[in-house]
Amino acid sequence: MQQPAIQPMEQFMIHKIVSLPTVHIGGLAVDLSITNSILSMMVGAVLLIAFFALTARREIVPNRGQALAESLYNIIDRVLVGPIIGQEGKPYVPYILSLFLIILVLNLMSVVFAIGNLAGFDAAFAVTSQLAITATLAILTFVSVLVLGFIKHGPKFVSLFWVPGMGVFGGAAMVIIEMISYFVRPVTLALRLFGNMLGGHVVMSLFGSFVVALGILALSGGIATLAFVPSALSFAMIVGLTGLELVVAILQAFVFAALATVYLNEVVNFGHGH
Amino acid sequence: MATETQQGTEAPAASGGLPQFDFQWWPGQIVWFLVIFAIVLLFVRLFVSPRVGGTIDARDGKISGDIADARRLKDEAEAQAAAAAAETAQARAQAQRVAAEARAKAQAEVAARLAEEEAKLAAKGAEAEARIAKARDAAMGNVASIAADAAGAIVGKLTGKAATAAELSAAGRA
Repeated sequence: MQQPAIQPMEQFMIHKIVSLPTVHIGGLAVDLSITNSILSMMVGAVLLIAFFALTARREIVPNRGQALAESLYNIIDRVLVGPIIGQEGKPYVPYILSLFLIILVLNLMSVVFAIGNLAGFDAAFAVTSQLAITATLAILTFVSVLVLGFIKHGPKFVSLFWVPGMGVFGGAAMVIIEMISYFVRPVTLALRLFGNMLGGHVVMSLFGSFVVALGILALSGGIATLAFVPSALSFAMIVGLTGLELVVAILQAFVFAALATVYLNEVVNFGHGH
Repeated sequence: MATETQQGTEAPAASGGLPQFDFQWWPGQIVWFLVIFAIVLLFVRLFVSPRVGGTIDARDGKISGDIADARRLKDEAEAQAAAAAAETAQARAQAQRVAAEARAKAQAEVAARLAEEEAKLAAKGAEAEARIAKARDAAMGNVASIAADAAGAIVGKLTGKAATAAELSAAGRA
């Protein structure tokens, strides 16, 4: 029997499930086929909608489901937007909450359903470890904030880059630095989530491969039987890593939402605490 | 396996880097993701935020309302207790006053009755004394006539002639 090659990147391979026609949007060919990535997004959205549809009751004394739904809402409303932006942040709670929830559900799915990868279960695909998706979220958030800034404050919004009290030349130098640090934000937003999810999944996949490869080696008998020990250790490692990845999944969703809130705050409370 | 066959065609593209940088999948993923994200955003905006946020606000409102109600009821109860205590104190004062009045009245009555009785007794005593004095006078009068009689009888016996009544009474008086 041939030993399976260790291919930690195979889990990120996209393949078509349902072929759909390609449409052209502004000269760009968009293949609308349902892939494993898109199926996972759909499952995530359905899970999200089903969860809130089932748990969002109006009881004064909540049950567990309602308490969880309200906790998720409060994380955005009273932990992030309330303290960071204040009362004027209320209209933006749905957007930040949507960001948080979609990232959270896709992150958690990719860890919780990870075993599905072995069974070829397509909805276990790690959508948030696709740079295309994290970049979309980051650019969407960045551009929305930028547009909102110009809508609310007009051209004087560019004074965001001017640091007062630096003189003309110092100020000009600071404008360049401030602009770089400002426009690098979507890049860091996208790469942080992408890197965290990618790394975690690669490491888990590697240890998973070790369990199988070393286990098969051990089955060949003789002195190789000792390979069961590192195989078992690798398995213990996966158990620990799964817990860690669950934390990372929740934390990265929170971090993305928190940074989006901070960026939004600069626009909403423009010129206040600047 | 599907992935195996896919790998055959895409391995050259993927081997150069991560499968994430295989840009043929980007447009489809981005368009689908935007559509799905828009649906989630609509759902959150139209259902989750009003429903969950509304319930939380309603609960906060109810809790603060209930606390305010309880505080108001407590204040009311305290005011009532204070009023009741004041009423009790007033009632006690009145009762004490009434009792004092009654006692004073009773004492006055008793004193009046006592005085009346004493006066009655004094009158009776005086009457009795008067009667005694009268009786003594009568008795004394009788004694004089008895003495005159006795003297008349003694004189008659001694002299053989009856003394006059005037003489006898003078002698008796002497």
